[in-house]
Amino acid sequence: MEVSHSIRERTIAENSLVILLQGLQGEVTTVDLRDESTARGRVVNVDAFMNVRLEEVLYRDRRGRLSQLADLFITARNVRYVHIPDHVDIMETIQTQLTRIRRVRNFAGEKRGRKEYLKKKN
Amino acid sequence: MVNLKNVSPPSEGIRCNQGEITAVWNGEGLGPGTLYIAETCVSWFDGSGMGFSLKYPSISLHAISRDFTAYPGEHLYVMVNTKLNDKCAEEEDNESTDDDCNADSISPVTEIRFVPSDKATLEPMFSAISECQALHPDPEDSDSDFEGDEYDVEEAEQGQIDLPTFYNFEEGLSQLTLEGQATLERLEGMLADSASQKHHCMAGVRPEDTPTGCCNECGAVGVSGQFEDADVDH
Repeated sequence: MEVSHSIRERTIAENSLVILLQGLQGEVTTVDLRDESTARGRVVNVDAFMNVRLEEVLYRDRRGRLSQLADLFITARNVRYVHIPDHVDIMETIQTQLTRIRRVRNFAGEKRGRKEYLKKKN
Repeated sequence: MVNLKNVSPPSEGIRCNQGEITAVWNGEGLGPGTLYIAETCVSWFDGSGMGFSLKYPSISLHAISRDFTAYPGEHLYVMVNTKLNDKCAEEEDNESTDDDCNADSISPVTEIRFVPSDKATLEPMFSAISECQALHPDPEDSDSDFEGDEYDVEEAEQGQIDLPTFYNFEEGLSQLTLEGQATLERLEGMLADSASQKHHCMAGVRPEDTPTGCCNECGAVGVSGQFEDADVDH
């Protein structure tokens, strides 16, 4: 699971619940769109702006017609709901994503980071 | 009814440029042409230079379809909010929002299919539109705003401006004044001392099984339990 390479996106994600959606990468779920169509597929990526990319999608348009889409990118503005799968532990997902973001940020200062950790342990 | 215009292709920020692409507008075939995916818009032009342009805010979704029941051929599917696209095309300099743009299920939708002769181009075209769409976040979305003053995150990370929130470790160290450094050393010393005394209380925050009253011994300020609901320090 990748953390965004963009500092701006990491900061936005860290301060918003979109971080939960980012943690759904790899999960199969349903996205309800504003026009009441739905898309069910595997989450490939959710960026900090909440654009959602799914693959192997079953798409039901607002008239109820079904079609399959290999890759689907839903513009954030058109996302109404993202279903969180029942088996996903929400708090744990958020915590894991936060840890990943901070690990990326502190990569350069790893030595100092560790030193601080050791002091507290003593 | 398709309204093709005689417009020139985008001059800069072109991410992807693909010929031999047949465009199908709401089921109406427009023949072969060239697709330009640029940072400002997605444009398509046929052989005579007539075409159309799509602004990213008007693109609700785009997809790769390999489903032959939907259309007999693999293609790039784009759903456009027609109202938004017309508006965006007419009022390029006007940044005011209009309630009409927010019309959801009633809003007219245009379905465009770009059918390439070379199917291998589908993935790069899909990715190009995805990347450019990320360059146009919804200006009406207030969820990702920060409270307080806005600041340039990259400038802040380089230590050039004051951050309104907290620092990470090395940023914070570099921003400390002499007085700040002295304070930090004193506090860290207190931490080390209290930890070595197996003292379980710090600044009024204590785990549940520690007896009340220990706050006085470590010199922490505040009534015990005052900070019980405080966030964990980063």
